[in-house]
Amino acid sequence: MKLNPQKYFYILLIIVISFVFSNECKSQQKSKQQSNKHTISGYVKDASTGEYLIGANVYIKETLKGTTTNRYGFFSLTHDEGEYHFVVSFIGYTNYDKIINLNKNYQINVSLKLNAILTKEVVITGEKEDKNTQNTKVGTFELPIEKVKALPAFMGEVDVLKTIQLAPGVQSAGEGNTGFYIRGGGPDQNLILLDEAVVYNASHLFGFFSVFNADALKNVELTKAGMPANYGGRLASVLDISMKEGNNKKYKVNGGIGLIASRLTIEGPIKKDTCSFIISGRRTYVDIIMKPFMDESSSFSGSGYYFYDLNTKINYIFSDKDRVFLSGYFGRDVFTIKSAESSFDNSISWGNATVSFRWNHLYNDKLFSNTSIIYNDYQFNSSSFQNQYEMELNSGIRDWNAKLDYTYLLSTKHNVKFGVNYIYHTFTPNNATSQVSDVDLDLGEAVKLYSHDAAAYISDDFELTERIKFNAGLRYTYFQQIGPFDRFIKNERGETIDTIHYDKNENVKTYNHLEPRFSLRFKVNELSSIKLSYTQNYQYIHLASVSSVSLPTDIWVPSSSLVKPQFGTQYSLGYYRNFKQNVYESYIEIYYKELKNQIEYKEGALPEDNINNNTDNNFTFGEGESYGVELFFKKRKGKLTGWIGYTLSWTTRKFPEINQGKEYFAKYDRRHDVSIVISYDINKRLSCSAIWVYATGNAMTLPISRYVIEGNIINEYSEKNSFRMPAYHRMDLSLTYQLKKRKKYESNINLSIYNVYNRYNPYYIYFETTGNINDYDLEIQAKQVSLFPIIPSISWNFKF
Amino acid sequence: MMLKNIKQIIKKTLPLMMMIMTVFFTSCEKDITIDLPESEEKIVVEGWIEQGEYAKIILTKNSPYFSVVDSIALTKLIITDATITVSDGQIKEVIKTPTVNPNYFPPLVYTGSTLKGEIGKTYYLKIEVEGKTLTAVTTIPKPIIYDKIWFEVEQPKGDSLGLVWAQYSDPPETKNFYRIFTKRVNNDRKFIPIFFSVYDDIYFNGKTLTFNMYRGFETMTDDTQFEEDKYDEIGYFKLGDTIIVRSCSIDKAHYDFWRTIENEIYSGGNPFSTNVPVVSNIKGGGIGIWGGYGATYDTVIAK
Repeated sequence: MKLNPQKYFYILLIIVISFVFSNECKSQQKSKQQSNKHTISGYVKDASTGEYLIGANVYIKETLKGTTTNRYGFFSLTHDEGEYHFVVSFIGYTNYDKIINLNKNYQINVSLKLNAILTKEVVITGEKEDKNTQNTKVGTFELPIEKVKALPAFMGEVDVLKTIQLAPGVQSAGEGNTGFYIRGGGPDQNLILLDEAVVYNASHLFGFFSVFNADALKNVELTKAGMPANYGGRLASVLDISMKEGNNKKYKVNGGIGLIASRLTIEGPIKKDTCSFIISGRRTYVDIIMKPFMDESSSFSGSGYYFYDLNTKINYIFSDKDRVFLSGYFGRDVFTIKSAESSFDNSISWGNATVSFRWNHLYNDKLFSNTSIIYNDYQFNSSSFQNQYEMELNSGIRDWNAKLDYTYLLSTKHNVKFGVNYIYHTFTPNNATSQVSDVDLDLGEAVKLYSHDAAAYISDDFELTERIKFNAGLRYTYFQQIGPFDRFIKNERGETIDTIHYDKNENVKTYNHLEPRFSLRFKVNELSSIKLSYTQNYQYIHLASVSSVSLPTDIWVPSSSLVKPQFGTQYSLGYYRNFKQNVYESYIEIYYKELKNQIEYKEGALPEDNINNNTDNNFTFGEGESYGVELFFKKRKGKLTGWIGYTLSWTTRKFPEINQGKEYFAKYDRRHDVSIVISYDINKRLSCSAIWVYATGNAMTLPISRYVIEGNIINEYSEKNSFRMPAYHRMDLSLTYQLKKRKKYESNINLSIYNVYNRYNPYYIYFETTGNINDYDLEIQAKQVSLFPIIPSISWNFKF
Repeated sequence: MMLKNIKQIIKKTLPLMMMIMTVFFTSCEKDITIDLPESEEKIVVEGWIEQGEYAKIILTKNSPYFSVVDSIALTKLIITDATITVSDGQIKEVIKTPTVNPNYFPPLVYTGSTLKGEIGKTYYLKIEVEGKTLTAVTTIPKPIIYDKIWFEVEQPKGDSLGLVWAQYSDPPETKNFYRIFTKRVNNDRKFIPIFFSVYDDIYFNGKTLTFNMYRGFETMTDDTQFEEDKYDEIGYFKLGDTIIVRSCSIDKAHYDFWRTIENEIYSGGNPFSTNVPVVSNIKGGGIGIWGGYGATYDTVIAK
């Protein structure tokens, strides 16, 4: 634990808390003498669908004091007595403006009507005009779903994760890689939530598509720095995604048919204004399409790949005080390889299943709570058959999770959040069974690891003065591995010299830590502000990746007596500036991160090292550092909108057992990362968009010399990651044409072109040797494999 | 044995998956030029000693990755001026000149003439060359005995191609490592390691196992093996072949070397697996292996 900043932080926290309370008491007393305060609270919804609106502005026109609706559309505004204009506004909707005599508390549910003048896309989550400069959120990127749909689609599929990667500081892992990297953090350091449930593997088809079907989503928010105390468990970021509730006024169907996949969403009321549902599904059919192209005699006939997603949700409004939601997500990727020649048959599949039950409860007009109970299961399976050999490999993680989150809107100055979270994890790191004819091979006992993962937090978003607003929070986290568990103690020869057995529920190892979180906004003037943040995070579960490319075979493992929790500290400082009445947004932010207890497999570790062994005996540990600067400029309104983002960053790692203990660049160290996104409305029916991305190539280890053993060429490798692949850059274009609106339905056609100028971006590099060494005639040629040349695609999207 | 195959196959499957996705999505491949950093010159040792045989050591040097490989370049890589000392702790033998032996590459082998390997003993190697002294140690473990060993035709491949099969009972009280070679009489000029030639008894300690052996390549760099008429035979033996199987017991350091070497040969450069640095048992600035073999020979006639 870094003591110094933490110590100062605690002192600061105590000073602040006492200051806050004394201030509040004083102002309560003052107000008792001067005037009373009353509270207006309620929900803000879309008048035609009943979907509540997240981030709507709720304020008193005369004093400009206000708040915004929370993730469940709830607001609470405490204000001095008097007669005022009470306004609720949201981009794309007509303002709600009513005169109120605030002499008592009010419960007002507001339904906003779509602004008829804007016939183009509805932006369900709008942005408060100057929200970016005025809130205390640092490093946050909000994504309106409709904006995602307007961007170029890859193979006809628009994608939330692909769009997130267009923000500065967010780097894609590259074509064909799952995961994404935020400010130099690993792919397991991102907390991805779908309706409060954790998503362990958010990618289909090695990262070409995410598991998020944009038709079912309402809001996407990415936090890269200043992670507030109500989130935890990952070091780098939080990607918080909310599903739509389902239109509770009438039935709606929308969907799309594309080259690679199709999707369908059905939503509607089960009981008008009270209960509604949404079901959204998507499936690829690339396997069916490829079948005619792979003739029977082809050695891979019978091989195929498909994935599907299913999002389901139902919600019931009991009253203004109580509302429940039940959502489920089920998704799977299935890959089959058959090779008649080698009589080989392998089927590999992986996927997430999550079910979450949530209950919103209003205790009074200031205290809002959400209780969630979640079940989560991520599994990876591989079964292979060859002649008489059979082998099965399973890995996964299963969670039972309960959380309680409270929001206490004490006053317009204080937005207090507190809550608890508990998860029971069951890990299956690597279970294999194998049979030869009828003989079972000894692959060790099936291993399951169990742990308790708990947290409690409190935070306050506090407006100290008109200029200074800060968010200070503290999160206490606790992690305990429990039995049944066997610890194998090994000597250097890999032989087990001792086994320690732990019984069911017996304590194996416990960790607990305090995580301070702090962010501050200093308002320079109406248009600009300075924001800084300091956070400390611990991460208790980790993704162990064998290859240099992340694959679905990567396994989740818990902290243990050998694996300490990952620990990260991040500092950030940024200047935020809007122009021309908030039409333009911009910021420049620098960050510095220190990462400790990072995990890698020992060099040379192989799957067989897991037999009769603990997975973590194969790990090695080290630290990392990451720092950089992000520049961002965005135009929010008008016919032409879009943004430019540039990140200049360095990410290094230092492990005593890797690269002889010398510091090396992490594989995703990306010096330059540029994203340009442009959307343009040509006319009422036609709109187009373009994106251009540029990224410095990935770091890799290449051979530098070779020698001969038994007549074979053996490579000797360079310093780890000392080589850079050529840069990656690509432009995509898309055109969306709105077809004539019919009475029953409306539709559009989208034409997208991926990689417009057909650049052969390197996917990997290998060396091909030709010739025969015995003839003293050998040639070695470096070859680069690229995945995607120019790919046009067309899709038809409908809504009725 | 087969388990290793399966595991290796699984490991290879993933890259295969990627290859298939690549096929699905019309991938493109092109030649590129790369500037690689300087490499340090190292002495490469390939040395072994078997019971009843003299020590054999091949010495070469490494070369920068893209350097030209022709007979002139190769001659520069061969070392002929080393002084090698092999000893069993009591008796020693000094070899100063290599012998020409066309069965190996390069065809110069420092061959012993007085000290023969014996089962159970430890052998020390010392190489003095170009001002450097390299040393290594190895042992010759007890050889194995198969319960039975035979040839069987592989039906899917037709009527004439097949594999060598063996039934073996692994001794439970010892930690064992193995390496297997085959040689087709009148066809192969020397013993060739089978596909995935090294094994660790961690999978089958104390068990009786039936497994098969795929014929290996003499060298991965010979393109003629992949010619059309020979393609189908890759990995298999033919009816009528007389096959001598040389099955050896080896120690852990020897096993680690071949395990990492084979990993490098079969999947080196594969971005989907971490490149495994080769584990060498040569000390003093050299790379390579000095290994002992406790060998058993069995003759199998394919009929």
